[in-house]
Amino acid sequence: MTANILDGIVLGLQFGLLAAGLTLIYGLGGVLNLGYGQIAVISAMTVALAMDAGVPVLPAVGLGLLAGGLFGLLLDLTILRPVYRLHGEARVLLSLLLTLGVSFIVDGYLNWRYPLKSLSLYIGGGAIDILGVPMRRGSLVASAITLVTIAGLFVFFRSTSLGRAIRSVIEDEAGARLIGIDPKKMLRLILVLSGVLAALVALTRSMIAPVDTTSGLSITVFALIVTVVGGLGNFVGALLAGIILGIVSVVAADLIGSYISLIILLGAAAVTILIRPAGLLGVKE
Amino acid sequence: MLEVNGLSAGYQGNDVVHDVAFHVDQGEAVMIIGSNGAGKTTLFQTLCGLHPPSSGKVTFEGDDITGIPAERIARLGMRFVSAARHLFPRMTVQEHLLLGAYPHKPDPATMSIVLDLFPRLAERRKQRAGTMSGGEQQMLAVGRALMSKPRLLMLDEPSTGLAPLLAKSAYEALDVLREQGLTVLVTEQQVPLAMAFSDRGYVLENGFIRLEGTTEQLAANPAVRSAYLGVI
Repeated sequence: MTANILDGIVLGLQFGLLAAGLTLIYGLGGVLNLGYGQIAVISAMTVALAMDAGVPVLPAVGLGLLAGGLFGLLLDLTILRPVYRLHGEARVLLSLLLTLGVSFIVDGYLNWRYPLKSLSLYIGGGAIDILGVPMRRGSLVASAITLVTIAGLFVFFRSTSLGRAIRSVIEDEAGARLIGIDPKKMLRLILVLSGVLAALVALTRSMIAPVDTTSGLSITVFALIVTVVGGLGNFVGALLAGIILGIVSVVAADLIGSYISLIILLGAAAVTILIRPAGLLGVKE
Repeated sequence: MLEVNGLSAGYQGNDVVHDVAFHVDQGEAVMIIGSNGAGKTTLFQTLCGLHPPSSGKVTFEGDDITGIPAERIARLGMRFVSAARHLFPRMTVQEHLLLGAYPHKPDPATMSIVLDLFPRLAERRKQRAGTMSGGEQQMLAVGRALMSKPRLLMLDEPSTGLAPLLAKSAYEALDVLREQGLTVLVTEQQVPLAMAFSDRGYVLENGFIRLEGTTEQLAANPAVRSAYLGVI
Protein backbone atom coordinates (compact mmCIF):
# COMPACT_ATOMS: atom_id res chain seq x y z
CA MET A 1 0.00 0.00 0.00
CA THR A 2 2.82 2.41 0.87
CA ALA A 3 4.31 1.66 -2.54
CA ASN A 4 1.01 2.51 -4.21
CA ILE A 5 0.71 5.76 -2.30
CA LEU A 6 4.27 6.79 -3.14
CA ASP A 7 3.72 5.95 -6.81
CA GLY A 8 0.44 7.84 -6.61
CA ILE A 9 2.21 10.91 -5.25
CA VAL A 10 4.80 10.72 -8.06
CA LEU A 11 1.99 10.60 -10.62
CA GLY A 12 -0.10 13.12 -8.71
CA LEU A 13 2.60 15.79 -8.64
CA GLN A 14 2.77 15.55 -12.41
CA PHE A 15 -1.02 15.61 -12.70
CA GLY A 16 -1.02 18.71 -10.54
CA LEU A 17 1.60 20.56 -12.55
CA LEU A 18 -0.13 19.55 -15.77
CA ALA A 19 -3.47 20.84 -14.52
CA ALA A 20 -1.87 24.03 -13.20
CA GLY A 21 -0.97 25.04 -16.75
CA LEU A 22 -4.49 24.42 -18.00
CA THR A 23 -6.25 26.02 -15.04
CA LEU A 24 -4.16 29.21 -15.17
CA ILE A 25 -5.12 29.85 -18.81
CA TYR A 26 -8.75 29.30 -17.97
CA GLY A 27 -8.63 31.48 -14.88
CA LEU A 28 -6.85 34.27 -16.67
CA GLY A 29 -8.52 34.29 -20.04
CA GLY A 30 -11.57 32.01 -20.01
CA VAL A 31 -9.77 29.86 -22.56
CA LEU A 32 -9.83 26.04 -22.43
CA ASN A 33 -6.87 24.65 -24.36
CA LEU A 34 -7.70 21.15 -25.64
CA GLY A 35 -4.43 21.12 -27.57
CA TYR A 36 -2.58 21.13 -24.26
CA GLY A 37 -1.45 17.48 -24.41
CA GLN A 38 -0.17 18.02 -27.94
CA ILE A 39 2.15 20.76 -26.68
CA ALA A 40 3.60 18.14 -24.33
CA VAL A 41 3.99 15.69 -27.21
CA ILE A 42 5.58 18.28 -29.53
CA SER A 43 8.10 19.01 -26.81
CA ALA A 44 8.85 15.31 -26.26
CA MET A 45 9.27 14.76 -30.02
CA THR A 46 11.57 17.79 -30.25
CA VAL A 47 13.82 16.25 -27.61
CA ALA A 48 13.71 12.80 -29.24
CA LEU A 49 14.57 14.20 -32.70
CA ALA A 50 17.30 16.46 -31.33
CA MET A 51 18.89 13.50 -29.56
CA ASP A 52 18.63 11.44 -32.77
CA ALA A 53 20.51 14.26 -34.49
CA GLY A 54 23.29 13.94 -31.94
CA VAL A 55 22.40 16.79 -29.57
CA PRO A 56 23.40 15.91 -25.97
CA VAL A 57 20.57 15.27 -23.55
CA LEU A 58 20.58 18.50 -21.54
CA PRO A 59 20.60 20.93 -24.50
CA ALA A 60 17.96 18.70 -26.12
CA VAL A 61 15.78 19.05 -23.02
CA GLY A 62 16.30 22.82 -23.23
CA LEU A 63 15.10 22.74 -26.84
CA GLY A 64 12.06 20.72 -25.76
CA LEU A 65 11.08 23.28 -23.10
CA LEU A 66 11.62 26.07 -25.62
CA ALA A 67 9.40 24.27 -28.13
CA GLY A 68 6.61 24.02 -25.54
CA GLY A 69 6.81 27.74 -24.73
CA LEU A 70 6.95 28.73 -28.39
CA PHE A 71 3.94 26.60 -29.24
CA GLY A 72 1.99 28.31 -26.45
CA LEU A 73 3.02 31.68 -27.85
CA LEU A 74 2.03 30.56 -31.35
CA LEU A 75 -1.47 29.65 -30.13
CA ASP A 76 -1.80 33.10 -28.54
CA LEU A 77 -0.68 34.88 -31.70
CA THR A 78 -2.77 32.87 -34.16
CA ILE A 79 -5.88 30.82 -33.52
CA LEU A 80 -6.71 32.38 -30.14
CA ARG A 81 -7.00 35.87 -31.66
CA PRO A 82 -10.64 35.44 -32.76
CA VAL A 83 -11.31 33.81 -29.36
CA TYR A 84 -10.17 36.95 -27.52
CA ARG A 85 -12.82 38.99 -29.31
CA LEU A 86 -15.57 36.95 -27.66
CA HIS A 87 -16.64 36.97 -24.04
CA GLY A 88 -18.12 34.59 -21.50
CA GLU A 89 -19.42 31.20 -22.65
CA ALA A 90 -18.88 31.93 -26.35
CA ARG A 91 -15.19 32.45 -25.64
CA VAL A 92 -14.86 29.14 -23.78
CA LEU A 93 -16.70 27.26 -26.53
CA LEU A 94 -14.75 28.74 -29.44
CA SER A 95 -11.42 28.18 -27.67
CA LEU A 96 -12.46 24.58 -27.01
CA LEU A 97 -13.35 23.95 -30.68
CA LEU A 98 -10.33 25.68 -32.21
CA THR A 99 -7.78 24.07 -29.90
CA LEU A 100 -9.42 20.68 -30.47
CA GLY A 101 -8.84 21.31 -34.18
CA VAL A 102 -5.20 22.10 -33.49
CA SER A 103 -4.87 18.88 -31.50
CA PHE A 104 -6.18 16.83 -34.48
CA ILE A 105 -3.78 18.53 -36.86
CA VAL A 106 -0.79 18.03 -34.57
CA ASP A 107 -1.73 14.39 -33.86
CA GLY A 108 -2.29 13.69 -37.54
CA TYR A 109 0.97 15.27 -38.62
CA LEU A 110 3.11 13.61 -35.95
CA ASN A 111 1.58 10.17 -36.54
CA TRP A 112 2.13 10.49 -40.28
CA ARG A 113 5.61 11.97 -40.15
CA TYR A 114 7.04 10.19 -37.08
CA PRO A 115 5.03 7.01 -36.51
CA LEU A 116 6.17 4.89 -33.55
CA LYS A 117 8.55 7.61 -32.39
CA SER A 118 8.73 7.90 -28.63
CA LEU A 119 10.82 9.56 -25.96
CA SER A 120 12.31 7.77 -22.96
CA LEU A 121 14.73 9.72 -20.81
CA TYR A 122 15.92 6.65 -18.97
CA ILE A 123 17.84 7.30 -15.79
CA GLY A 124 20.06 4.39 -14.80
CA GLY A 125 21.25 3.19 -11.43
CA GLY A 126 19.60 1.00 -8.85
CA ALA A 127 16.43 1.61 -6.91
CA ILE A 128 16.53 3.82 -3.81
CA ASP A 129 14.62 2.90 -0.67
CA ILE A 130 12.00 5.43 0.45
CA LEU A 131 10.00 4.41 3.56
CA GLY A 132 11.08 0.83 2.87
CA VAL A 133 9.82 0.92 -0.69
CA PRO A 134 12.32 0.60 -3.52
CA MET A 135 11.71 3.55 -5.86
CA ARG A 136 13.22 3.88 -9.30
CA ARG A 137 15.66 6.74 -9.75
CA GLY A 138 13.67 8.05 -12.72
CA SER A 139 10.57 8.49 -10.52
CA LEU A 140 12.55 10.29 -7.85
CA VAL A 141 14.32 12.63 -10.25
CA ALA A 142 11.00 13.37 -12.01
CA SER A 143 9.31 14.12 -8.66
CA ALA A 144 12.20 16.29 -7.50
CA ILE A 145 12.05 18.38 -10.71
CA THR A 146 8.27 18.66 -10.43
CA LEU A 147 8.44 19.71 -6.77
CA VAL A 148 11.09 22.33 -7.45
CA THR A 149 8.98 23.70 -10.30
CA ILE A 150 5.87 23.85 -8.11
CA ALA A 151 7.85 25.64 -5.38
CA GLY A 152 9.21 28.05 -8.00
CA LEU A 153 5.70 28.79 -9.23
CA PHE A 154 4.55 29.50 -5.66
CA VAL A 155 7.38 31.96 -5.13
CA PHE A 156 6.67 33.56 -8.50
CA PHE A 157 2.97 34.06 -7.84
CA ARG A 158 3.31 35.13 -4.18
CA SER A 159 6.45 37.21 -4.12
CA THR A 160 7.10 38.85 -7.47
CA SER A 161 5.23 41.84 -8.80
CA LEU A 162 4.66 40.14 -12.16
CA GLY A 163 3.22 37.09 -10.38
CA ARG A 164 0.89 39.28 -8.32
CA ALA A 165 -0.16 41.12 -11.47
CA ILE A 166 -1.11 37.80 -13.09
CA ARG A 167 -3.14 36.80 -10.02
CA SER A 168 -4.90 40.15 -10.01
CA VAL A 169 -6.21 39.49 -13.54
CA ILE A 170 -7.62 36.13 -12.35
CA GLU A 171 -9.25 37.87 -9.38
CA ASP A 172 -10.82 40.85 -11.18
CA GLU A 173 -9.94 41.70 -14.76
CA ALA A 174 -11.46 45.21 -14.72
CA GLY A 175 -9.73 45.92 -11.41
CA ALA A 176 -6.40 44.87 -12.92
CA ARG A 177 -6.92 47.11 -15.94
CA LEU A 178 -7.79 50.06 -13.69
CA ILE A 179 -4.36 49.84 -12.07
CA GLY A 180 -2.53 49.65 -15.39
CA ILE A 181 -2.19 45.88 -15.91
CA ASP A 182 -2.80 44.67 -19.47
CA PRO A 183 -4.71 41.33 -19.26
CA LYS A 184 -3.75 40.41 -22.83
CA LYS A 185 -0.05 40.59 -22.05
CA MET A 186 -0.53 38.54 -18.89
CA LEU A 187 -2.48 35.91 -20.83
CA ARG A 188 0.24 35.69 -23.46
CA LEU A 189 2.80 35.18 -20.73
CA ILE A 190 0.70 32.44 -19.13
CA LEU A 191 0.26 30.67 -22.49
CA VAL A 192 4.04 30.55 -22.82
CA LEU A 193 4.38 29.40 -19.20
CA SER A 194 1.73 26.70 -19.62
CA GLY A 195 3.52 25.49 -22.76
CA VAL A 196 6.72 25.15 -20.76
CA LEU A 197 4.85 23.34 -17.96
CA ALA A 198 3.29 20.89 -20.43
CA ALA A 199 6.76 20.30 -21.87
CA LEU A 200 8.24 19.78 -18.42
CA VAL A 201 5.56 17.23 -17.52
CA ALA A 202 6.15 15.35 -20.79
CA LEU A 203 9.90 15.27 -20.19
CA THR A 204 9.68 14.17 -16.56
CA ARG A 205 6.99 11.64 -17.50
CA SER A 206 9.38 10.14 -20.04
CA MET A 207 11.73 9.34 -17.18
CA ILE A 208 9.09 6.92 -15.89
CA ALA A 209 7.28 5.70 -19.02
CA PRO A 210 7.72 6.41 -22.75
CA VAL A 211 5.87 9.40 -24.24
CA ASP A 212 4.86 8.77 -27.85
CA THR A 213 3.08 10.60 -30.64
CA THR A 214 -0.34 9.33 -29.49
CA SER A 215 0.03 10.50 -25.86
CA GLY A 216 -1.48 13.96 -26.45
CA LEU A 217 -5.15 13.15 -25.99
CA SER A 218 -4.67 11.22 -22.75
CA ILE A 219 -2.50 14.01 -21.32
CA THR A 220 -5.21 16.57 -22.11
CA VAL A 221 -7.91 14.34 -20.61
CA PHE A 222 -5.97 13.83 -17.37
CA ALA A 223 -5.23 17.56 -17.14
CA LEU A 224 -8.89 18.35 -17.73
CA ILE A 225 -10.15 15.92 -15.07
CA VAL A 226 -7.71 17.25 -12.48
CA THR A 227 -8.53 20.85 -13.41
CA VAL A 228 -12.26 20.28 -12.98
CA VAL A 229 -11.81 18.52 -9.63
CA GLY A 230 -9.46 21.24 -8.37
CA GLY A 231 -11.75 24.06 -9.47
CA LEU A 232 -11.38 25.78 -12.84
CA GLY A 233 -8.94 28.64 -12.52
CA ASN A 234 -7.62 27.56 -9.12
CA PHE A 235 -3.87 26.95 -9.01
CA VAL A 236 -3.65 25.47 -5.50
CA GLY A 237 -6.78 23.41 -6.18
CA ALA A 238 -5.13 21.91 -9.25
CA LEU A 239 -2.08 20.81 -7.25
CA LEU A 240 -4.20 19.33 -4.46
CA ALA A 241 -6.54 17.54 -6.88
CA GLY A 242 -3.52 16.26 -8.80
CA ILE A 243 -2.06 14.51 -5.76
CA ILE A 244 -5.40 13.08 -4.62
CA LEU A 245 -6.28 11.79 -8.09
CA GLY A 246 -2.74 10.47 -8.62
CA ILE A 247 -3.09 8.30 -5.53
CA VAL A 248 -6.66 7.26 -6.48
CA SER A 249 -5.46 6.33 -9.95
CA VAL A 250 -2.53 4.17 -8.84
CA VAL A 251 -4.46 2.44 -6.07
CA ALA A 252 -7.41 1.74 -8.39
CA ALA A 253 -5.11 0.44 -11.10
CA ASP A 254 -3.46 -1.91 -8.63
CA LEU A 255 -6.64 -3.17 -6.97
CA ILE A 256 -8.90 -3.37 -10.02
CA GLY A 257 -7.00 -2.78 -13.24
CA SER A 258 -5.60 0.07 -15.26
CA TYR A 259 -8.56 0.31 -17.67
CA ILE A 260 -10.93 0.74 -14.78
CA SER A 261 -8.73 3.40 -13.15
CA LEU A 262 -9.56 5.99 -15.84
CA ILE A 263 -13.25 5.33 -15.28
CA ILE A 264 -12.72 5.76 -11.55
CA LEU A 265 -10.95 9.08 -12.18
CA LEU A 266 -13.85 10.27 -14.31
CA GLY A 267 -16.22 9.07 -11.56
CA ALA A 268 -14.26 11.03 -8.95
CA ALA A 269 -14.52 14.14 -11.15
CA ALA A 270 -18.28 13.60 -11.59
CA VAL A 271 -18.83 13.14 -7.85
CA THR A 272 -16.80 16.29 -7.12
CA ILE A 273 -18.93 18.31 -9.52
CA LEU A 274 -22.11 16.95 -7.91
CA ILE A 275 -20.98 17.77 -4.38
CA ARG A 276 -18.93 20.90 -5.07
CA PRO A 277 -19.83 22.34 -8.48
CA ALA A 278 -16.96 24.83 -8.35
CA GLY A 279 -14.37 22.13 -7.57
CA LEU A 280 -12.45 21.29 -4.37
CA LEU A 281 -11.15 24.81 -3.77
CA GLY A 282 -13.39 26.62 -6.22
CA VAL A 283 -15.12 29.82 -5.25
CA LYS A 284 -18.77 30.27 -6.20
CA GLU A 285 -19.22 32.98 -8.79
CA MET B 1 -5.77 68.85 -16.90
CA LEU B 2 -8.81 66.85 -18.04
CA GLU B 3 -10.83 68.22 -20.94
CA VAL B 4 -14.01 66.51 -22.17
CA ASN B 5 -15.83 67.68 -25.29
CA GLY B 6 -19.03 66.44 -26.95
CA LEU B 7 -18.73 63.06 -25.28
CA SER B 8 -21.51 60.55 -25.92
CA ALA B 9 -21.47 56.98 -24.68
CA GLY B 10 -23.77 54.10 -23.95
CA TYR B 11 -24.49 50.45 -24.53
CA GLN B 12 -25.31 48.71 -27.81
CA GLY B 13 -25.98 51.89 -29.73
CA ASN B 14 -28.21 53.40 -27.05
CA ASP B 15 -26.41 56.40 -25.67
CA VAL B 16 -26.84 57.01 -21.97
CA VAL B 17 -24.56 60.06 -21.88
CA HIS B 18 -25.13 62.78 -24.50
CA ASP B 19 -22.76 65.47 -25.76
CA VAL B 20 -21.13 66.01 -22.37
CA ALA B 21 -18.50 68.75 -21.99
CA PHE B 22 -16.58 69.67 -18.84
CA HIS B 23 -13.06 70.22 -17.60
CA VAL B 24 -10.99 69.72 -14.48
CA ASP B 25 -8.01 71.98 -13.78
CA GLN B 26 -4.85 71.13 -11.86
CA GLY B 27 -5.44 71.12 -8.10
CA GLU B 28 -9.22 71.37 -8.30
CA ALA B 29 -11.89 69.19 -6.77
CA VAL B 30 -14.79 68.87 -9.18
CA MET B 31 -18.05 67.01 -8.56
CA ILE B 32 -20.56 65.60 -10.97
CA ILE B 33 -23.87 65.25 -9.19
CA GLY B 34 -27.07 63.67 -10.39
CA SER B 35 -29.68 61.16 -9.35
CA ASN B 36 -29.47 57.41 -9.78
CA GLY B 37 -29.52 56.55 -13.49
CA ALA B 38 -28.41 60.01 -14.65
CA GLY B 39 -25.41 58.44 -16.41
CA LYS B 40 -22.66 59.24 -13.89
CA THR B 41 -21.22 55.74 -13.82
CA THR B 42 -21.38 55.33 -17.61
CA LEU B 43 -19.61 58.67 -17.98
CA PHE B 44 -16.83 57.65 -15.59
CA GLN B 45 -16.41 54.18 -17.07
CA THR B 46 -16.01 55.83 -20.47
CA LEU B 47 -13.49 58.38 -19.21
CA CYS B 48 -11.32 55.73 -17.58
CA GLY B 49 -11.32 53.55 -20.71
CA LEU B 50 -13.35 50.56 -19.51
CA HIS B 51 -15.99 51.45 -22.06
CA PRO B 52 -15.53 52.99 -25.54
CA PRO B 53 -17.26 56.32 -26.29
CA SER B 54 -19.56 56.61 -29.30
CA SER B 55 -18.37 60.14 -30.09
CA GLY B 56 -16.52 63.09 -28.60
CA LYS B 57 -13.02 63.82 -27.41
CA VAL B 58 -11.19 63.43 -24.10
CA THR B 59 -7.77 64.94 -23.46
CA PHE B 60 -5.65 64.46 -20.36
CA GLU B 61 -2.73 66.83 -19.85
CA GLY B 62 -2.84 67.70 -23.52
CA ASP B 63 -2.83 64.10 -24.79
CA ASP B 64 -5.83 62.78 -26.70
CA ILE B 65 -6.95 59.73 -24.71
CA THR B 66 -10.28 59.16 -26.46
CA GLY B 67 -10.97 55.44 -26.78
CA ILE B 68 -7.65 54.40 -25.25
CA PRO B 69 -7.97 51.20 -23.13
CA ALA B 70 -8.16 51.46 -19.34
CA GLU B 71 -4.75 49.92 -18.64
CA ARG B 72 -3.01 52.62 -20.66
CA ILE B 73 -5.04 55.48 -19.19
CA ALA B 74 -4.20 54.21 -15.70
CA ARG B 75 -0.49 54.37 -16.54
CA LEU B 76 -0.84 58.00 -17.65
CA GLY B 77 -1.61 58.96 -14.05
CA MET B 78 -5.39 59.06 -14.16
CA ARG B 79 -6.76 56.61 -11.61
CA PHE B 80 -10.37 55.56 -11.29
CA VAL B 81 -11.93 54.18 -8.10
CA SER B 82 -15.14 52.47 -9.17
CA ALA B 83 -18.25 52.28 -7.00
CA ALA B 84 -17.92 48.52 -7.57
CA ARG B 85 -14.36 48.85 -6.15
CA HIS B 86 -12.97 45.99 -8.28
CA LEU B 87 -10.70 44.68 -5.55
CA PHE B 88 -8.99 41.28 -5.72
CA PRO B 89 -10.96 39.22 -3.15
CA ARG B 90 -8.34 36.57 -2.36
CA MET B 91 -5.40 38.95 -2.23
CA THR B 92 -4.22 40.71 0.93
CA VAL B 93 -4.28 44.42 1.74
CA GLN B 94 -0.51 44.50 1.42
CA GLU B 95 -0.64 42.87 -2.02
CA HIS B 96 -3.21 45.42 -3.21
CA LEU B 97 -1.03 48.31 -2.11
CA LEU B 98 2.08 46.81 -3.74
CA LEU B 99 0.14 46.19 -6.94
CA GLY B 100 -1.13 49.76 -6.92
CA ALA B 101 2.36 50.92 -7.86
CA TYR B 102 2.74 48.32 -10.65
CA PRO B 103 4.82 48.23 -12.83
CA HIS B 104 7.03 50.47 -10.69
CA LYS B 105 8.60 49.60 -7.36
CA PRO B 106 6.30 50.68 -4.52
CA ASP B 107 7.55 53.93 -3.02
CA PRO B 108 7.93 53.58 0.80
CA ALA B 109 7.08 57.27 1.34
CA THR B 110 3.81 56.89 -0.58
CA MET B 111 3.08 53.68 1.33
CA SER B 112 3.43 55.48 4.66
CA ILE B 113 1.23 58.37 3.45
CA VAL B 114 -1.48 55.85 2.54
CA LEU B 115 -1.16 53.95 5.81
CA ASP B 116 -1.23 57.19 7.82
CA LEU B 117 -4.37 58.23 5.97
CA PHE B 118 -6.03 54.86 6.52
CA PRO B 119 -4.66 53.34 9.77
CA ARG B 120 -7.20 50.51 9.39
CA LEU B 121 -5.27 49.26 6.38
CA ALA B 122 -2.04 49.25 8.40
CA GLU B 123 -3.74 47.08 11.05
CA ARG B 124 -5.02 44.67 8.41
CA ARG B 125 -2.13 44.31 6.02
CA LYS B 126 -2.39 40.51 5.94
CA GLN B 127 -6.18 40.34 5.64
CA ARG B 128 -7.77 39.31 2.35
CA ALA B 129 -9.84 42.01 0.66
CA GLY B 130 -12.85 39.70 0.24
CA THR B 131 -13.26 39.38 4.02
CA MET B 132 -13.23 43.11 4.79
CA SER B 133 -16.16 45.42 5.49
CA GLY B 134 -17.51 47.87 2.90
CA GLY B 135 -15.77 50.84 4.50
CA GLU B 136 -12.43 49.06 4.67
CA GLN B 137 -12.78 47.95 1.05
CA GLN B 138 -13.42 51.54 0.01
CA MET B 139 -10.29 52.66 1.86
CA LEU B 140 -8.32 49.91 0.15
CA ALA B 141 -9.61 50.86 -3.29
CA VAL B 142 -8.56 54.48 -2.72
CA GLY B 143 -5.26 53.42 -1.13
CA ARG B 144 -4.46 51.14 -4.07
CA ALA B 145 -5.08 54.04 -6.49
CA LEU B 146 -2.93 56.41 -4.41
CA MET B 147 0.06 54.04 -4.47
CA SER B 148 0.61 54.98 -8.11
CA LYS B 149 0.94 58.69 -7.14
CA PRO B 150 -1.87 59.66 -9.54
CA ARG B 151 -2.17 63.18 -10.92
CA LEU B 152 -5.95 62.85 -11.22
CA LEU B 153 -8.05 60.70 -8.91
CA MET B 154 -11.55 59.87 -10.16
CA LEU B 155 -14.00 58.54 -7.58
CA ASP B 156 -17.36 57.09 -8.52
CA GLU B 157 -19.76 57.44 -5.60
CA PRO B 158 -17.25 57.01 -2.77
CA SER B 159 -20.11 56.97 -0.24
CA THR B 160 -21.81 53.92 -1.83
CA GLY B 161 -22.71 51.28 0.71
CA LEU B 162 -21.22 53.22 3.62
CA ALA B 163 -23.01 54.17 6.80
CA PRO B 164 -23.37 57.98 7.11
CA LEU B 165 -20.50 58.29 9.60
CA LEU B 166 -18.17 56.23 7.42
CA ALA B 167 -19.13 58.22 4.33
CA LYS B 168 -18.25 61.39 6.22
CA SER B 169 -14.86 60.04 7.26
CA ALA B 170 -14.20 58.91 3.68
CA TYR B 171 -14.61 62.53 2.60
CA GLU B 172 -12.40 63.69 5.47
CA ALA B 173 -9.65 61.49 4.06
CA LEU B 174 -10.22 63.02 0.64
CA ASP B 175 -9.92 66.50 2.18
CA VAL B 176 -6.48 65.56 3.47
CA LEU B 177 -5.45 64.44 -0.02
CA ARG B 178 -6.71 67.69 -1.52
CA GLU B 179 -4.59 69.69 0.89
CA GLN B 180 -1.62 67.73 -0.43
CA GLY B 181 -2.45 69.04 -3.90
CA LEU B 182 -4.26 66.07 -5.46
CA THR B 183 -6.71 66.83 -8.27
CA VAL B 184 -10.01 65.00 -7.73
CA LEU B 185 -13.08 64.37 -9.87
CA VAL B 186 -15.95 62.80 -7.95
CA THR B 187 -19.52 61.70 -8.70
CA GLU B 188 -21.96 61.60 -5.85
CA GLN B 189 -25.61 60.95 -5.15
CA GLN B 190 -25.27 62.22 -1.62
CA VAL B 191 -24.91 65.76 -2.81
CA PRO B 192 -24.28 67.54 0.52
CA LEU B 193 -21.14 65.44 1.07
CA ALA B 194 -19.74 66.31 -2.36
CA MET B 195 -20.70 69.98 -1.97
CA ALA B 196 -18.70 70.31 1.22
CA PHE B 197 -15.70 68.88 -0.58
CA SER B 198 -15.67 70.35 -4.11
CA ASP B 199 -14.68 73.69 -5.67
CA ARG B 200 -16.93 73.37 -8.70
CA GLY B 201 -19.57 71.06 -10.02
CA TYR B 202 -21.76 69.91 -12.85
CA VAL B 203 -25.31 68.58 -12.67
CA LEU B 204 -25.96 65.55 -14.86
CA GLU B 205 -29.60 64.75 -15.64
CA ASN B 206 -30.77 62.04 -18.05
CA GLY B 207 -27.30 61.99 -19.58
CA PHE B 208 -27.07 65.74 -20.26
CA ILE B 209 -25.15 68.34 -18.29
CA ARG B 210 -27.89 70.76 -17.20
CA LEU B 211 -26.04 73.11 -14.90
CA GLU B 212 -22.52 74.03 -13.96
CA GLY B 213 -20.90 76.44 -11.57
CA THR B 214 -18.96 76.88 -8.39
CA THR B 215 -20.19 74.94 -5.40
CA GLU B 216 -21.66 78.18 -3.95
CA GLN B 217 -23.55 78.96 -7.17
CA LEU B 218 -24.96 75.44 -7.35
CA ALA B 219 -25.89 75.45 -3.66
CA ALA B 220 -27.80 78.68 -4.22
CA ASN B 221 -29.64 77.41 -7.28
CA PRO B 222 -33.31 76.71 -6.45
CA ALA B 223 -33.51 73.67 -8.79
CA VAL B 224 -30.44 72.10 -7.19
CA ARG B 225 -31.73 72.92 -3.71
CA SER B 226 -35.06 71.20 -4.23
CA ALA B 227 -33.79 68.23 -6.26
CA TYR B 228 -30.56 67.37 -4.45
CA LEU B 229 -30.42 69.18 -1.13
CA GLY B 230 -33.95 68.40 0.02
CA VAL B 231 -34.76 72.10 0.46
CA ILE B 232 -38.23 73.07 -0.73
